[in-house]
Amino acid sequence: MVEFIRSIVEHINYVASVALFIIGLYTVLTHSNLLKKVIGINIMETSIFLFFVSIGYVHDGSAPIINLGGDRVIYVNPLPSALILTGIVVAVSITAYSLSLIIKLYEAYGTIDLNEIMEIRGGRTNE
Amino acid sequence: MSSQHFPVYSLLLLLAAAVIIPLLNKKSFSKVKLFLITVLVAVWGFTLKTLLFVYQSGAYSYNFGNWNEIIGVQFIVDEFSALMTLFVMSLAILILIYSFKDMEHEINKDQFTGYYTLVFILLFSMIGITYTNDLFNMYVFMEILSITSCSIISIKKKKENYMAAFRYLILNTIGSLSILMGIAMIYMVTGHLNMTQVYQTIAEVWQLYPTNILTAVGFILTGLGIKAAMFPLHIWLPDAHSTAPSPSSALLSSLVVKVYIFSVYKILFKVLGQSIVVALGVPTFITYFAAVGMIMGSVFAIGQKDIKRMLAYSSVAQIGYIFLGLGLVTIDGLSASMFHIISHGLMKSALFLSAGAIIYYKDKRNINDLDGIGYEMPITMFVFTVAAFGMIGIPGINGFMSKIYLSFAVLDANKPIYLILILASSFLNAVYYLPIIISAFLKESKDRKNIMEIDKLPKSMLIPMVILALGSIIMGFYPQLIMNVVEKAVPTFLF
Repeated sequence: MVEFIRSIVEHINYVASVALFIIGLYTVLTHSNLLKKVIGINIMETSIFLFFVSIGYVHDGSAPIINLGGDRVIYVNPLPSALILTGIVVAVSITAYSLSLIIKLYEAYGTIDLNEIMEIRGGRTNE
Repeated sequence: MSSQHFPVYSLLLLLAAAVIIPLLNKKSFSKVKLFLITVLVAVWGFTLKTLLFVYQSGAYSYNFGNWNEIIGVQFIVDEFSALMTLFVMSLAILILIYSFKDMEHEINKDQFTGYYTLVFILLFSMIGITYTNDLFNMYVFMEILSITSCSIISIKKKKENYMAAFRYLILNTIGSLSILMGIAMIYMVTGHLNMTQVYQTIAEVWQLYPTNILTAVGFILTGLGIKAAMFPLHIWLPDAHSTAPSPSSALLSSLVVKVYIFSVYKILFKVLGQSIVVALGVPTFITYFAAVGMIMGSVFAIGQKDIKRMLAYSSVAQIGYIFLGLGLVTIDGLSASMFHIISHGLMKSALFLSAGAIIYYKDKRNINDLDGIGYEMPITMFVFTVAAFGMIGIPGINGFMSKIYLSFAVLDANKPIYLILILASSFLNAVYYLPIIISAFLKESKDRKNIMEIDKLPKSMLIPMVILALGSIIMGFYPQLIMNVVEKAVPTFLF
């Protein structure tokens, strides 16, 4: 039992990222509010960013700048953090585009609730 | 100019053109057209030259900025990527020539430059995915592709388009995020993002972390399955492909979906390697889903009234064939799958463009309204008929040849049950394509006399469609033309 708790505490980043991923996916799939879907997507993105950055973490490592860490020679892996910067940019553009679509949908239907939109379309999906 | 830079030139040219297009004078659209055609033909020339160069002096890898592959981004230019970029560009040129006239009908005139900017970025990212040899680079190109492919749907300012684009965007993003999660897990155990490096490392580590690698493959294949519309994950496809403007539907259905299948090839055979994939049992599951998709896609298509929606469901079935060939993990299966990628690209774009021509000229989308349309638009319906016969598998058209290759591959792999499914799926294809052809040529139109006349469509719409139909026929009579090239591309994955 103690072993189990210790392994969870040691890998708390991974556990948290998986939990966030599931929360995000659940939000996307179950909520009918379009804005909440976008929020769910953002939570999923955050979870993966956390996961990616945690991979690069080295215990007791310093920032990967030469001669800044004094006599310490262990550095944190900088590559995942650099990749995640790109990932954040991508996430922002997806969010911006989906929000603009939501605005257009609100103008068209007067609501941002998926169930209400489906009612307004009234089964006329074949169009 | 050294030939080995040509892949990068083609990318840069597309990106630069996408930046320049909005700056051009919007009033003289003919100049914009000339510019677009020039850029496309130049890029096409670059890709053709790349293919010839690869045949002369072999495959090579291109390191950006001369950083070595452990640090930098690498492109791999081999027989496969050179062939597939040529395929993408050739189809894109035909579809875009068609789109010049058709888009006037679909969107406002002041949106033209915006549309072509998006299309050029779309082509840019498709070519990037095909060439890239870096996992994270692939993810970035995929995100560019998913945003642009959603926005060429939502550019048509209609309610249905916004809804379809939103649904496509959400599912696409879930797909991309699963792929990123899988990439993170692969990076976690191998420490590399370059595909070749991962391939070398993963053989050593996969015995140590089998669960991790299985989870990673699961995430990546689910993500790519959503994007490539593998059967149970296809729910976004009918809305997206049917509401989009016809040239966009042709681009989405014949190219964008295929590009994700290229990524599946790369992930399965270049990153993980054949032995690990077979040991994990992944291909068997792919064939199950593919087989269900082949049948169910056609079954759903039978019930559709809207012609473009029917074509979209037909894509789901055809993607089943491609995944079936891929899941056999034999050389024959993979070459049948690649052959079908090319032949389906030709047939489906011909179908979508001819359906678009009917909508352009007659403004009719319902299948029941198409009685006697073969007399009013004989050329369009000829193109439609050729492509639909190809989908059914009438001999002499490329769809028949890809079914033959796939059937032989299935028999060689000792799985005759799939042969029955292929035949059943062909029969179902006939059930929904033949009524359209019969009613178009044999039934009488309600509101006019059936006097034969030539289509009154603009020539720039007719010529690309006719080229696509002729291409399908030529590829059906001389499949070796394509098959010889495809057989050279297969050994880059299986050996």
